[in-house]
Amino acid sequence: MAIGALICRDLNRYRRNPGRTALLFALPLVMSGLFALVFGGGGGGDVSIRVLLWDEDDSLLTILAEGAAGRSGEAARLDVIPVGSEGPDMMENGEASALLHIPAGFTDAYLKGEPATLGVLKNPAERFLPKLVDEGIHLGAGVLSVGSRMFRPELEQIDAMRRTDGFPSDPAVAALSTGITSRLSELEGTLFPPLIGLETPEPDQHLDAEDDESSATRSVLALFLPGFAVMGVLFIAQSATRDILRDRETGLLRHLLTAPVSPVEVLLAKCLTVILVCAVGFIVLIGVGAVVGLSWGPPTPVAVLVAATSVAASGTLLLIMSLVGTERQGDALTTIVIIVWSLLGGVFMPLSQMPAFVKPLSSTTLTFWAIDACNTLILDDGSLNEIRLNLAVLFGVGTLFLLAGAGILGRRIRRGGV
Amino acid sequence: MIRIEGLKKSFGELAAIDDVSFEVRDGEVFGLLGPNGAGKSTTINTISGVLQPDGGRVLVDGRDIWLEPKAVKCTLGVVPQEISVYDDLTARDNLSFWGSLYGLRGAELKARIDESLERVGLTQRAGDTVRTFSGGMKRRLNLCMGLLHRPKFLLLDEPTVGIDPQARLTILDVIREVASAGTTVLYTTHYMEEAERLCDRIAIIDHGRILAIGTLSELIRRAGEAEVLRVRGDFTDDSLRERLHRLSGIRVLRAEEDAAVLSIDTDGPGLMKVLPDVLALEVDDVAIQRPSLEGVFIALTGRELRD
Repeated sequence: MAIGALICRDLNRYRRNPGRTALLFALPLVMSGLFALVFGGGGGGDVSIRVLLWDEDDSLLTILAEGAAGRSGEAARLDVIPVGSEGPDMMENGEASALLHIPAGFTDAYLKGEPATLGVLKNPAERFLPKLVDEGIHLGAGVLSVGSRMFRPELEQIDAMRRTDGFPSDPAVAALSTGITSRLSELEGTLFPPLIGLETPEPDQHLDAEDDESSATRSVLALFLPGFAVMGVLFIAQSATRDILRDRETGLLRHLLTAPVSPVEVLLAKCLTVILVCAVGFIVLIGVGAVVGLSWGPPTPVAVLVAATSVAASGTLLLIMSLVGTERQGDALTTIVIIVWSLLGGVFMPLSQMPAFVKPLSSTTLTFWAIDACNTLILDDGSLNEIRLNLAVLFGVGTLFLLAGAGILGRRIRRGGV
Repeated sequence: MIRIEGLKKSFGELAAIDDVSFEVRDGEVFGLLGPNGAGKSTTINTISGVLQPDGGRVLVDGRDIWLEPKAVKCTLGVVPQEISVYDDLTARDNLSFWGSLYGLRGAELKARIDESLERVGLTQRAGDTVRTFSGGMKRRLNLCMGLLHRPKFLLLDEPTVGIDPQARLTILDVIREVASAGTTVLYTTHYMEEAERLCDRIAIIDHGRILAIGTLSELIRRAGEAEVLRVRGDFTDDSLRERLHRLSGIRVLRAEEDAAVLSIDTDGPGLMKVLPDVLALEVDDVAIQRPSLEGVFIALTGRELRD
């Protein structure tokens, strides 16, 4: 009965402190939210690259560029806007990511095989998009240069046709066509088949179009969100267990023990509250993942994992708090432990990317076991059986830490350390 | 009745209380008077089951608090020296939580809360979070928490420290009220006048040991206390000190460089006979203090309570 009253008191304190409670969940939520915005949908649609095309040559390239702009890429859409001499001013105003300038005489020079220059003006206020345009134009210029050398005779024929009044004669067109076909036949053995192939796995057939678009988002979230969720649970446990030290320092714990309630009940209630708050925090983070399209796997293993992680986080933090003297010491020590465990456990970097000497250390952290279980559920659609070792470690070590922490605190209370 | 037998508690090398024994009789207000660090709070914490004693035992109505903690604690109401309320909860929340620990529920709990808040004048602030309260209001709420379950024994550890006179009067009135209703009160303080006004019997404690127990008049009589003379003068001169000690009918409680405290022997010639001899010592000033608890304390410890 007393345990129920103690838990109600703690929950009531969370209710009466909406600001503090919000802060409790803020860190993991903010981190998850940022990741969702960066890698997930809801960011305001596709990225659009706006390019101004200032063609003083009235060349074929304008038609080619506009045609290229009509094909939306998967990651970004190219908007090519033909402009005149006002183009540089528009760039000054930051109205586009880049300006491609085709000077007068470019086509003539190209068809004659003479050196020609394209101008690119990038928007210094943007970082990545102008770089993409620059790279794309470099690639295009390279292709044009190679094409100019390979199809030199045919290009000269085209140049001659341009200079002739009226339509070219049928024999001239036939000769050009035959020449291009013949050139391509000669090059076929050189160009095809390609020696290096690029294989891009297709998404599962059962996924619909919407799933296709969000699959990249999910893969990135699946990589990082479990880690942030586990770290978030540790921070929630830190905040929740901090009350023990605060109550001890302010005399509230001492006063509480004058009531018909034992130290064991006080600590048990606190442990249950912390586990409950951690579990709620974890569920909220799972919800955030679900909102941005991340599936955490079957509900039963997820529920058991939430419980195990909450016990592990509560036990760890309670044990640390039981060993320190003041709230300040507790904050410092627990923050260090959380950050180190997060680094080693794979919160900020996948385990596979870590230096070899770090990997054995990872398995000594509870964050590793929790994140590993999350990954098994999310990436492999794992079952309860597949994460049983993780659950055993989390429950076992967490319970051990809880008992040790409660024991130390209880002993300190009885000896007058409250 | 609360019976304390040979209670001992040390923190490392420091003996906070040493062989403390006394009993608090049913229905009385028992004062534990002593300076800061005398062992009052340690005694209260040990009696209320927070601190496990190194020796001795505490019997409340014949039951050992360490053998039957829950049963005994149900009969105790404790008001600690620190303000022990949850700042982030409302006054009503605090009382509701505290009452539920004592098994109070529903309408009964609500009625008790309303009654307690009314008693200490906090009804209008029942729904406000405690962090908006003044120190005196928090103290009154603390007292409420100790009284909510109508304990048979009320233990108060310096409940008027650091509060305004109005809140102090309210608290003292409430204590008188519950005492007159039959609640047994154990009251620790270092304020002489509170002990004199409030307590039926008083134990004087210093350096963790009980020096004397009794009613005010018993203590005065037992300490052999009549009047105390506070003498100001230059006592750096050894011959003056020697003459002071040779005076008959007085006892030198304390002699410092510029002051001395003398106690008039009750079985001696009396104040009127001794006073001319003291004045003949060429002292600067002599003040006479009538018999009081402070005089008793000085007689017992050789120093004033505020020392």
